[in-house]
Amino acid sequence: MQGQQQQAYDRGITIFSPDGRLYQVEYAREAVKRGTPSVGVRTAEGVVLAVDKRSRSSLMEADSIEKLHKVADHVGIASAGHVADARRLIDFARRRAQVEELRYEEPIDTEVLTKAVTDNIQQYTQMGGVRPFGAALLIGGVSNGEPRLFETDPSGTPNEWKAVAIGADRSEIQDYLEENWEPELTLDEGVELALGAMASTRDESLEASELALGVVETDTEYYRRLEEAEIAAHIEALDLEDEEDEE
Amino acid sequence: MNVEDPYEPELGSLPEESAGEGPESMETGTTSIGVTTEDSVVIATDRRASLGGRVVSNKNVTKVEQVHDRAALTMVGSVGGAQSFIRTIRSEAKLYEARRGTPMSINALATLASNFLRGGPFFMINPILGGVDDSGPHVYSIDPMGGLSEDEYVVTGSGMQFAMGVLEQEYESDLSHEEGIEIATKAVQSAIERDTASGNGVTIAEVTTEGVEIHSHEDIAEVL
Repeated sequence: MQGQQQQAYDRGITIFSPDGRLYQVEYAREAVKRGTPSVGVRTAEGVVLAVDKRSRSSLMEADSIEKLHKVADHVGIASAGHVADARRLIDFARRRAQVEELRYEEPIDTEVLTKAVTDNIQQYTQMGGVRPFGAALLIGGVSNGEPRLFETDPSGTPNEWKAVAIGADRSEIQDYLEENWEPELTLDEGVELALGAMASTRDESLEASELALGVVETDTEYYRRLEEAEIAAHIEALDLEDEEDEE
Repeated sequence: MNVEDPYEPELGSLPEESAGEGPESMETGTTSIGVTTEDSVVIATDRRASLGGRVVSNKNVTKVEQVHDRAALTMVGSVGGAQSFIRTIRSEAKLYEARRGTPMSINALATLASNFLRGGPFFMINPILGGVDDSGPHVYSIDPMGGLSEDEYVVTGSGMQFAMGVLEQEYESDLSHEEGIEIATKAVQSAIERDTASGNGVTIAEVTTEGVEIHSHEDIAEVL
């Protein structure tokens, strides 16, 4: 009897458990943890977003794995968790960015965009007949010369970070970032920190083809995706440093 | 998708009916002037309201109102349309600032005003928007269909030709704030002399980084 009652609290997302929890939202967070990791790093020179896009089969076209998205000229978003759910949020963010242009003729502020997205996510934790988004996002952008990095989670809470990981192995990657992040990183060092963080939990070595990286530079305020060759060069630079350390 | 309509206010809604139709609604006729100086904006208007161009219905109208910490908008054309429009713009600016912690730029304010005129009913107004933000002082004239034009100085209203003539002669870039007040007032004065729908003194709005200060003078000599 007791067991049945407890179970009922995760049937609908609008129902609190007696100890004040929303089980469906917590389950959605679990869904995010099952996704491959994404990492964001903020440096003075810009924001770096890195995603792991390993596929289940060598026959899958790598470009069809969507985890890193351009949202506006000055904003990129990396996702973890359910790709289909993330796509809805990405499209919401893209539209919201253009509404800002139409309404005010201004590029949307990264914080304003993040909060518009999280307000949308929050609605899916309180309305009947829906389920929460099983995705977390890293929103990186530069507005008014300021690089900003935000994280959203399935509850709709926005958090700002200097460097952060979402998805599988989050806590280990976060430990690596906490140990190695410094306020005066260059953009290249930021890219390498993100790659190092990704590598820290992988058994095999990093492959450029299995990663996607995007940067928004403070100077240009433009989002740019790194070419595979650029990623490979950064990975090589990382390896060299490791070898030097060993010597 | 729950993305707000960029052409509609978030608060309330634009009226269904066009404002200011029919000969008996109050109109400002008006001379309205916006001038940028080196670090401020000066807006000057006359103080007369008229009915059907024949009766002076009010001799003590303040035709410029603050809509933002550092911006003001003039009333030109239908008084009802202008008042409603000003209330809407003011609320939107406050909402924007409350949410984001930073004030709207003057260009954002002008774009929003243009969108509301373009997308909503016909307001029958032709206002001037002036304000100061981080990028400096700006004045825009906004036509009844939402057309925006920014310049160093702008004039709208029935007395515009007379006032424009004065500004063409007197205006220079990088005027001091005091020179800006003088030139704008002289331009209103000339229009009052020759335009029957403008008169009864001058109202000045001084917009600086400190804020907006509005004062009216029945006797123009008080300013000059």
